[in-house]
Amino acid sequence: MAQKSAVAARAPKKKASSWQKRDWVAAYIFIAPVTLGLLVFYIWPFFQNIWFSFNDVNKFNMSTFVGLENYIKLFSDKEVWKAFGNSLKYVVITVPAGLFLSIFIAALMNAKIRGKSIYRTLYFLPSVTMSAAVAMVWKWIYNEQMGILNTAIKAAGGSGHAWLTSPSTALYCIMLVGLWMTVGYNMIILLAGMQGISVTYYEAAALDGAGPIQQFFKITIPMLTPTIFFVLITSIISGFQVFDTIYMMIGKTNPAYDDTQTVVMLFYRQAFDYGYKGYAAAISLFIFIVIMIVTVIQLIGQKKWVNYD
Amino acid sequence: MKKRLTKLASLGFVATMCVGLLAGCGGGSSDGGSSSGKTEIAFGIWDENQRPAMEDLVAAYEEENPDVKVNIELTPYSGGEYWTKLEAAAGGGTAPDVFWINVLHLDSYVDGGILADMTDAIAESDINDAYSETLVQNYVRDDVNYAVPKDFDTNALWYNKEMFDAAGVAYPTDDMTYDDFVALCAELKDKLPEGVYPFVCPVDFQTWYYQTVYANGGWIISEDGTETGYDDPKTQEGIQCWIDLIDEGYAPSAATVAETGSDAMFQGEQVAMTFAGSYMVPEYANNDAVAEKIDCVEIPTYNDIEDNCINGLGYAVYEGSKNKDAAIDFAIWLGSKDAQDIQGESGVVISARTESQHLFAEAKPEYNLAAYTNHADVAYPLPMGGTKTAEIYDLESTWLTKAYTGEMSLADACAGLKEEADALLAE
Repeated sequence: MAQKSAVAARAPKKKASSWQKRDWVAAYIFIAPVTLGLLVFYIWPFFQNIWFSFNDVNKFNMSTFVGLENYIKLFSDKEVWKAFGNSLKYVVITVPAGLFLSIFIAALMNAKIRGKSIYRTLYFLPSVTMSAAVAMVWKWIYNEQMGILNTAIKAAGGSGHAWLTSPSTALYCIMLVGLWMTVGYNMIILLAGMQGISVTYYEAAALDGAGPIQQFFKITIPMLTPTIFFVLITSIISGFQVFDTIYMMIGKTNPAYDDTQTVVMLFYRQAFDYGYKGYAAAISLFIFIVIMIVTVIQLIGQKKWVNYD
Repeated sequence: MKKRLTKLASLGFVATMCVGLLAGCGGGSSDGGSSSGKTEIAFGIWDENQRPAMEDLVAAYEEENPDVKVNIELTPYSGGEYWTKLEAAAGGGTAPDVFWINVLHLDSYVDGGILADMTDAIAESDINDAYSETLVQNYVRDDVNYAVPKDFDTNALWYNKEMFDAAGVAYPTDDMTYDDFVALCAELKDKLPEGVYPFVCPVDFQTWYYQTVYANGGWIISEDGTETGYDDPKTQEGIQCWIDLIDEGYAPSAATVAETGSDAMFQGEQVAMTFAGSYMVPEYANNDAVAEKIDCVEIPTYNDIEDNCINGLGYAVYEGSKNKDAAIDFAIWLGSKDAQDIQGESGVVISARTESQHLFAEAKPEYNLAAYTNHADVAYPLPMGGTKTAEIYDLESTWLTKAYTGEMSLADACAGLKEEADALLAE
């Protein structure tokens, strides 16, 4: 939709101004559905959420103003810090791991190998699968009693492990699922970036005697930094927002519950299980501010390493 | 000309999309009369197993009242989806006109002013005489009736006959005591195949430990709703008796059960016995892998006391309904003998009306379902913490899980639990 409107707005440069105006109207009509959707479902709720965070809002959306009470509660709530720690752990591990893995796979996909399109499809498949369905399947793979993972370990002579119910492994198992789901999407973006690098650089490097490894580190990586930067920002944001896999895989009586609860999980529980929507709004605003700070730091830091030609 | 046509076509397309978007927003319920001139009532339920019975009820009601059309709206219960949607809809003024509610959620809905006062309508009907007082009182707050009792659920001990036969052990019976039951587990333990357990003990209040807590003279929440009784040794004994079974190796570890679930383990033939609420019967009976191998008996007595927990549902009417009178009329009819018999004959739940209760056991004569209704009159209702009930139950499961896994002793877990739960009640 957005692309179409760009074309419509650009095309008739020398036409009469009435034509131009009509095209603008057409363009606005084209972007209207998306803009309306954004306004109604994102921007308005965002401001409403800020207002809610200063109110005590019950299950049925009846609110009374309480000032900063929700924020005072937030900063003294041990559960918030524990959950925030879990989220941070998730981001610190999955983001670098995911980035390396996607660059590696994208480089392989960029090479001349047979059946490339099959591999690309396979790697991208998890991204188009519903995450709830993915979580259900992985939940059974990890199952201590009947899961395929433990069955395989036992067949190989091992003794199996309670993957999702041991506090020491549960979060890492969830990270693995998160990686599996996002690597394909990041890989496609990085691959597109790699294919945008002009062949002439490689030809010149080959003439000078640079091997494929050298070419990769001296040409591909530096030229790819804008794309890497984009992938980094989006994966940090989605890492902080991880929710669905954990919600599906960890039940309330799971012994690893405390060690896998992320901030968004906590937000959900406060808002929809307990009905403290005002407090939940404060938690979500807190997550927003943290993500914003991290992103601003990255935007400043990028000047040092991102290479725009 | 051609260009203009394309433009027109795309305009039309966009317009359609916009309308679709707006229609999507406004697609609530309780829109009053429809084009056919009938009064429309939206009817919110959560159980797919009960949908056929509810459809039969709606058909019977529509036949008697040709000017009314009832639309069933099903939202699954799992993960709290039903309540999340209902609360959002109630806040936005578009909740179903008549909907299921359980005792656990009643207080917060009464508090939020979501439920219509049905006192007069119930007084005019035969409901006060035809139902046990406990069930009617479940939905009364400050002398106001907020719902018509729909059904109730109790618990029974289910066992896998094939596994008992293979082990050469006699089946459990209706008149067992807790000690008999432990002896039975001990006898079974070595005779079952490797990795199969006699019983299973999830961290489950309603179907497991509340029954023994109450039979042992323990308590959970004081009557005035200001204090919890987790520190009472009698309460702890009623919980410890299930943890003991795990420690003895008669039941799988808490971690295993948390992951797979007691019902799945029983249906997967990894345990020989389990407790199950009456709402599980349709699932068991429809599972071809085990349906013919299993049967049930009464929950073992504890301290010679028939211990069972009772919970149930009611039909409530939405205070903001545009057709409140028609909705109340429908809800009252759902409590009539005709309606309760239709529900009972489906065999899916135990009808709340006293004279219709026996239909549940008769609907599936292959099982000893009377185990559910034999002592329903003395079963314990769930403890209530007002609007904090759901949160207290959550705290309870979090803390008790630590005791079930052996991470801390039950006494320590209960001390931590009491501190947090009492603080919550004091808020």
